[in-house]
Amino acid sequence: MQRIAFVLGAALGLIAGGPAWGQSAPHLGAASGGASSAEVTSGNRFNPDLSVILEGIAYADDRSGDADALVAAAAGINQAHGHDAGGHAGEEPGFSLKPTELAVSASVDPYFDAFVHAVITEAGGMDLEEAYFTTRALPAGLQVKAGRFLSGIGYHNDKHRHQWQFVEQTLPYQQLLGAHGLRDTGVQLTWTPATPFYTRFGVEALQGDQEVVGRFDGESALDGVVPASVVDRYGDPKAGPRLFTAFAKAAPNLGYSHELQAGVFGVYASDHQELHTDPDDHILTGQYWLAGTDWVYAYDAPHQYGRGDLKISAEYLYAVKDLEVAYNPAQPPTVGDDRTFREDGFYVQGRYGFAANWRAGARYGMVGLTNQKAVGATGSAEHYGRSHRVSANLTWTPTHFTRIQAQWSHSRIATGSGRETADQYFLRYILSMGKHGAHDF
Amino acid sequence: MIRILLSLFLVLAAAAPALAQTRVVATTTSMAVLARTVGGDAVSVTTLAPPDRDVHYLQAKPSMMRRLRRADLLLAVGAELEVGWLPAALRNAANPGIRPGHQGYFEAAAQVELTGTYQRADRAMGDVHPAGDPHVNLDPVRMARVAEALAARLAKLEPAAAEAFRRRAEGFGKQVQKRLPGWQERVADSPGVVAFHKDINYLMDRLGVPIRGYLEPKPGIAPSASHLKRLIADLKARPAGVIIRHPYHPRDPVRKVADATGWRTAALPLDPELGAGAEAYFALIDAYVAAIAGDR
Repeated sequence: MQRIAFVLGAALGLIAGGPAWGQSAPHLGAASGGASSAEVTSGNRFNPDLSVILEGIAYADDRSGDADALVAAAAGINQAHGHDAGGHAGEEPGFSLKPTELAVSASVDPYFDAFVHAVITEAGGMDLEEAYFTTRALPAGLQVKAGRFLSGIGYHNDKHRHQWQFVEQTLPYQQLLGAHGLRDTGVQLTWTPATPFYTRFGVEALQGDQEVVGRFDGESALDGVVPASVVDRYGDPKAGPRLFTAFAKAAPNLGYSHELQAGVFGVYASDHQELHTDPDDHILTGQYWLAGTDWVYAYDAPHQYGRGDLKISAEYLYAVKDLEVAYNPAQPPTVGDDRTFREDGFYVQGRYGFAANWRAGARYGMVGLTNQKAVGATGSAEHYGRSHRVSANLTWTPTHFTRIQAQWSHSRIATGSGRETADQYFLRYILSMGKHGAHDF
Repeated sequence: MIRILLSLFLVLAAAAPALAQTRVVATTTSMAVLARTVGGDAVSVTTLAPPDRDVHYLQAKPSMMRRLRRADLLLAVGAELEVGWLPAALRNAANPGIRPGHQGYFEAAAQVELTGTYQRADRAMGDVHPAGDPHVNLDPVRMARVAEALAARLAKLEPAAAEAFRRRAEGFGKQVQKRLPGWQERVADSPGVVAFHKDINYLMDRLGVPIRGYLEPKPGIAPSASHLKRLIADLKARPAGVIIRHPYHPRDPVRKVADATGWRTAALPLDPELGAGAEAYFALIDAYVAAIAGDR
């Protein structure tokens, strides 16, 4: 509670300080006689920009409220084998408030911009979604981002909740990257060369404190489950950084109406550890890697209020966990055996502005074209099923700042005991107050 | 492979001096007109937004970032007109020289006096621009002032051509002065116009033509039935003028008001066509004047 009070106090202080900061912005024009570099602003006058985004939903499903738990438990390499399904709280039937987003951004000085994106949950807790700085003045199209941030891989990964076109995370992201996507602390270097068509390349070195890719069950999970001597041996991960990514994006020149961007990306976690308790307690360690490709197409129609605009995006992800049995007191001979897990998935989503201020969206996501665990010594493989989800929604956006959305999702989920289905219904609002920075493509 | 890359690099390097014009990226075609008019052969100009799109509603796109990445000068309208996309495009363009506050960033609205500034900007008033009405592009007199300031800025980037820039900006201003009385005369005692969005006010002020209303109940808010009803009642009580919309504005509400009131309608772009120069810009003003003057 104290923390919230502090943040709100700080936020109010920033608002009050805003105009004063604005006035101290450089007005080069005064010195140079009309050839002014001063601006009536293109977004940087209120220094820093502050915005608050409210989101809430009304929810119902046909499984007495456990539809989300079903989806989270979809059979796959990060779910099977008796460990918990991510422990993410599912949607409760009725009304609920989504985390309230607090975004603050500003130029720090001529060299750095800084961004903070915090969320306050309905229960009063706080979480730091992002807190990072970027460089402003590096030459040759180079840019460094450092701090805690959403990785630049893929298309959907660096979008915040309020930018999500659908209420829930995409199915392949949820299964292969985690409910928040890939978010971690570290440093990113991007290069935007002055090429005849748009290209961007990036690499990231991240600490590896991530719940799926960088999973490391560590001491807290091992404690009480395995003997103290084993906790010592497997309790702490190696020194970071332990998670690395690389990505590339390119966009051909298609004129003013059409925009196509394609990308490839890879993720590698050098130190991955899982504690499994089924059938016996055992520890697997090794590496997690993931490769993917992302595609976005946008059509900008010459109409107002978004009528005729179309946007389609699709991503494919392929993940491999290359692990070995590090500890298994019940079956000592298996120690050193390989356990290779492979799973992939994709989604395709689109939205179309069928009338002024109205758009319709649809999404299909699935995981498990490949979905298996291979046991090294015997060469035998265990196959998990495929899971699918179809979503459709209708969005009303009377202004830039308001979105009211109705959504239906139908899931067919492979579980240990066969295939189960769920229908979910959402009514959602997203309101944004204050000065919110423009969104990236 | 390396040899191919190397030779490609050499070809590009050899071609570079030939392309040594100042690369200007204009957000709108009106801004591009100024860059071409003032810059002449010394500049190459590309535009981020074609005139058939509403600049309020664009999205930052990779194609914009590509243009900005290589730009020497960014010519924006400013006053938050492009706030929904330009900051994001700039952020990702990785070109420090054209960021606000640098020599490579130039904002037209900052060079002239703006009207419609709000002491208290509240979004309940619609999509208002607290710094003032940014739509300076249709006022030829303000544009002439922007041209002068632009000449001074280009002179800093390319001192050798300073005199030519100044002369061309002056020439543009003289053209405006020469044409303005004729325009004003043609629309004198016009019964007025109705605009769709609040974006032609500077021109109407300049021409002395009263604005009798807007299709949008508040800036950026789509026309509502109740607002149109009030507008129709109001317009019926006046002599018929002309309702002006831009081609990207919806046609139906305009037609509805026109049918109910007997006002004429005209669809005119807010900015001249892609690649336009000063003549095309003046032709656009001519078109507005002709639409207001009607067939009287």
